[in-house]
Amino acid sequence: MKKSIKKGKITVIITMIIVCFALTLVMSMQFKIVNQTDITSIENMREAELRTELANWKSKYEETDQKYEETIKKIEEYNTTSQSNEETEKLVNEELEQVNLSLGKIDVQGQGIEVTLRETDSEEIARINGDDLLVIVNALKLSGAEAISINDERIINMSDIVDINETFVKVNGKRILAPYVIKAIGNSSHLETALIGNGGHVDEMKKIGQDVSIDKLNMVKILKYNEDIKLKYAQ
Amino acid sequence: MIFIAILIGCILGALIGMNAPMISYTYSSYLAISIIAALDSVFGGITSVIKKNFDLKIFVTGFFGNAILAILLTILGQKLNVDIYLAAIVVFVGRMFVNLAIIRRYYVDKWLNKIGKKNTDIKEENEN
Repeated sequence: MKKSIKKGKITVIITMIIVCFALTLVMSMQFKIVNQTDITSIENMREAELRTELANWKSKYEETDQKYEETIKKIEEYNTTSQSNEETEKLVNEELEQVNLSLGKIDVQGQGIEVTLRETDSEEIARINGDDLLVIVNALKLSGAEAISINDERIINMSDIVDINETFVKVNGKRILAPYVIKAIGNSSHLETALIGNGGHVDEMKKIGQDVSIDKLNMVKILKYNEDIKLKYAQ
Repeated sequence: MIFIAILIGCILGALIGMNAPMISYTYSSYLAISIIAALDSVFGGITSVIKKNFDLKIFVTGFFGNAILAILLTILGQKLNVDIYLAAIVVFVGRMFVNLAIIRRYYVDKWLNKIGKKNTDIKEENEN
């Protein structure tokens, strides 16, 4: 009797140990897993959670996509305005070139004439002086010359041509010597006629024996005015 | 004796469980439901001890059988896309509460009887 009771008790004890062991083992494993897994990471989620997470990501993506489109539009706008800025810049540059051209600050070329005045050694013939140059330049201007230069000194609106001591001529403050080469760009025939025709100054000079020659050319190159134009009083 | 056995088993299980390797998170859901089933059968066992009709075979088969059955039901529920494990949880925890109530009633009655007996003993002594 006692033996069977004891045997029964032993089995009970052993079974209890096994049962408790299994239960606590599984429980502690479960605790550990739940503690250590990151429930919010996608690999560990169940279907419903995945669904909500997907919806979240979808709305985020759409928001970002919208922002992206807006930014691209803005960039395009900036591109077009910068292009139009380039165009206005071009226009302004062209205008600047035009102004400089008419001012005399750029080299020019075109059809025109070259008037060469040489000093003769003869003492009877009058020397060429500044007044001659002035009259010729005036006549060229009258007949539509667009650019004039004397010995490669560009004649601009404020240029001066002066005689110094009846010895030499100063143009733009620079001393120049014979032979004087006056270049002019314009309609060659008109320019020539202004000087040669009846009463033209070259005609008169030739009559008193001075050495003057005129060349009509298809390509006359006139250099630019080299100094800076400073306005002190005009504002 | 039995208590010592239970204690030894619990401590062993806890120690080994803490240092066990990690299982992936999906399997942990099966483990959870089997734990609940096991707990329910434990409480059922305690109740049967109190009612003096403890049967070891029934206890052991109930313990492991319920656990396995619960796991199978969870898997089936996942395949069918129906949350069957919810019903299992409700039933097991319900039965746990019922058994707990029986245990509580028994022990409270016992304790009250003890106190009552003490009072009557003291009374008898005083009378005597």
